[in-house]
Amino acid sequence: MGKTFPQLYATVCLTTVWSHVGYVLRPLAILLSAFFLLTSLSSAQLYQGQTLVEATLVADTTAIVPGQTFRLGLLLRMAPGWHTYWENPGDSGLATKFEPQLPPGFSAGPLAWPLPRRIIEPGDIQVYAYKGEVLLVRTITTPAAIDTAEINLLAKSTWLVCEAICIPGKADLQLTLPVAAAAEPANTDLFAKFKAQLPSADQPPFTISWTATPTGWNLGLRDAGDATRADFYPFAEDKHPVGHTAPRDLIRGAADLAIPVAGFPPVRGIVVLENGERRGWTVASNTDAPVARDTPVAAKTGLWTYLLFGLIGGFILNLMPCVLPVISLKIFGFMRQAGDSRANILKHGLAFTAGIFLWFLGLAAVIIALKSAGSEVTWAFQFQNPWFNYVIGVVVFVFALNLFGVFEIVLPGRATQGMAEAGGHGGLAGSFAQGILATLLATPCTAPFLGTALGFAFSQASAVIAAMFAAIAAGMAFPYLLLSAQPGWMKYLPKPGVWMERLKQFMGFPLLATLLWLLYVIGQQRGTEAVIWAAATYLCLGLAAWLYGAFLGPVSSTRAKTLATLGILLSLLLGLGYFTGSLFTRSAATMPDKSAATPTDGIPWVPFSEAELQRLLAEGRPVFLDFTADWCITCKFNLRTAIDTKAVREAFEKLGIVPMLADWTNSNPEITRKLAQFDRVGVPFYLFYAPGRADDPVILPELLTEQILLRAIGAQP
Amino acid sequence: MNIITKTTLALALAAGTALAAPEVGQPAPAFTLTDSNGQSHNLADFKGKFVVLEWLNHGCPFVKKHYDSNNMQKLQKEYTGKDVVWLSIVSSAPGKQGHMSPAETNQAKEEKGSAATAVLLDEDGTVGQLYGAKVTPELYVINPEGNLIYAGAIDDTKSVDPADVEGATNYVKRALDEALAGQPVSTPKTEPYGCSVKYN
Repeated sequence: MGKTFPQLYATVCLTTVWSHVGYVLRPLAILLSAFFLLTSLSSAQLYQGQTLVEATLVADTTAIVPGQTFRLGLLLRMAPGWHTYWENPGDSGLATKFEPQLPPGFSAGPLAWPLPRRIIEPGDIQVYAYKGEVLLVRTITTPAAIDTAEINLLAKSTWLVCEAICIPGKADLQLTLPVAAAAEPANTDLFAKFKAQLPSADQPPFTISWTATPTGWNLGLRDAGDATRADFYPFAEDKHPVGHTAPRDLIRGAADLAIPVAGFPPVRGIVVLENGERRGWTVASNTDAPVARDTPVAAKTGLWTYLLFGLIGGFILNLMPCVLPVISLKIFGFMRQAGDSRANILKHGLAFTAGIFLWFLGLAAVIIALKSAGSEVTWAFQFQNPWFNYVIGVVVFVFALNLFGVFEIVLPGRATQGMAEAGGHGGLAGSFAQGILATLLATPCTAPFLGTALGFAFSQASAVIAAMFAAIAAGMAFPYLLLSAQPGWMKYLPKPGVWMERLKQFMGFPLLATLLWLLYVIGQQRGTEAVIWAAATYLCLGLAAWLYGAFLGPVSSTRAKTLATLGILLSLLLGLGYFTGSLFTRSAATMPDKSAATPTDGIPWVPFSEAELQRLLAEGRPVFLDFTADWCITCKFNLRTAIDTKAVREAFEKLGIVPMLADWTNSNPEITRKLAQFDRVGVPFYLFYAPGRADDPVILPELLTEQILLRAIGAQP
Repeated sequence: MNIITKTTLALALAAGTALAAPEVGQPAPAFTLTDSNGQSHNLADFKGKFVVLEWLNHGCPFVKKHYDSNNMQKLQKEYTGKDVVWLSIVSSAPGKQGHMSPAETNQAKEEKGSAATAVLLDEDGTVGQLYGAKVTPELYVINPEGNLIYAGAIDDTKSVDPADVEGATNYVKRALDEALAGQPVSTPKTEPYGCSVKYN
């Protein structure tokens, strides 16, 4: 105990004096107490002659007033360079403990921890800690009547103090306070200083959103005023370690904080904003409990049934609206091949099939990898990533330019040779690529059956997932393979001619329409600016493609070739480097989150949340639950033709049905979980909870009609 | 077109790349390290056996807790007796706490009564970083197929007090008992506690 002589003397004197002095001297005694007694009992942790930590028990009052609360603090003063730990120490270390030993009738509240700092040690070991000094506070409740003149408050504390090495410390501390009818505040500056550093449990002065990413949660902060920097400190979760968040600069009050964690457990923590001073708010992810993703329901149906579903689902993918532009491309391809030899046509069909298989098996590999990493992955998840949409946009646009005849694809000699050695000519590569493109564009449309089949696949072993995706690929490729094997069935196709070139050019337009759709989705995800920068990039790519087509042909002069190459490099640099690398990237960080999108149609949608749904069901209200996404054309089609109609609106109103919308445009784990409850991994998906059937909703077909819906909700017989 | 498609695929794959540290259920990363007797050990040598990796720093109070209470040695004895390979790994950089020469390592092993199969020296921290080991003690259990089946703390009581060993739930013991009985590990991943590994 590092009690100095004057402090000891003062303590003894005051204690003695206190029992003798009369009422008149009390204010003086209180004043003296504030100076000596309240900070007198400290304990020093010595290590090799150096004081590493000085621990002191302090109170925010000069006396205990029966029935009133006061604050009792553990003040730790660390030697320069040394730190003690926050309640979640981070990668290493140990939270400080502060346990008051109170007389009967007294009780201590929870420990209030000031905002920690992030300290990074070699090997990217990050800890959450305090340097300098820290005051850990508990609020003490006192009994209504106290029959002693003073109270001896005892507290045990243990801590770990670290610099390059760690030394555990502990102290038994005490503080004697008089009992009085009135008291003065004490240690006001100290308590005020650390009170300002406590996280606030109030509604934060910014909006937050939680979205799932392949590596954990993304915590979106918006409208954070003029704060400059944002950081996140997670509370300790023993069973699912939460990784470190990199602090981010706020741009126009917005920032996205990545919180690495496996399996999307609920996460709580403190958001710290800096704006000259540091302030913190306690936040929690918008899920109450993790839902087991292994659904036993599907296991009852055999593997072969699901493979058959996969096959049928894959076939139906060809008929989905978002594949239509590519279907027209494929038809064109077959027509061009009709003039070819029969063996060649079959080769094209096989190359196309190989493309489809490659894509689906690649997708299976990615999903298996992500599944193994414990992430939440769902069908069509690719289109939730604006970068994915952006890259597909590049592919579609360049392909369209090719169809318009802006440039011809001439593969480099070595590649062509490679293709030739692989057993065909250059056109096979095109068929192969078309197979990939067709499947790429098909993924957001989850056909009936396919939803069930994939729901099953996601809870299965890796080999089963691969088999599942192979079945889907086979289903999708089947009609083309059949046609190329039986080219006789194509004899009804028109004869080749100049019109084919015109048709080829015309086919560019559906592709541009697809591009519009992609840009629309990017806009929904990241705002108008992102659309403009993506389009500016495409423009530069277009210029580069034109230069390539016009000046890099075999007849161009060397000088023209050099200049054109320079121009191509410049426009690529401008497009990819500036418009994409700088502007598009930045727009992604500043645009508001779209997860709580409100549609503009006539149905008075209530945004989906599990809590709100359960509340409505508990009230006995019927609920129509629509799972949708902006990138899902089938969903939009159903909305326009079957849901947002006069008859349905009126029926909803008359029957008191609450229309609830689960918007899955950006990934949202709460919606993903709800879908998983029904073995679904994609949208559209429709549920109707009839009154009194909260546990047993009706599942509506994915290709919805107004009549089906009206019947299901009981508005029509 | 083909090149662009390939790029697209590559990007899509890159976007899905998982976290760097090995995940439970995945193959444990391969490594070769030299032990305090100069003998080289390759993880693949132990295929067919359960392997425990224990990150060690005798200067760390958390490690002291489990060695002073004889907790760690008891675990080592019990499971090496059941044909489990127990590898203690020292990733402290030269000049930093816990770093030991081979002779010092043998002396410490003798004094502490460690029953580890071998103490491996990883003074450049390569294997520590490979496994994402952040603290001492931090433990990993690898099954005979070479897959990681447990990663995290030794037990559930975060303290430096040897008295806390009594009554704590020992995650490593539980994982090994379950795995040896042919059952899945009920708690495959926990948040380790301890001193930071003293990397360079």
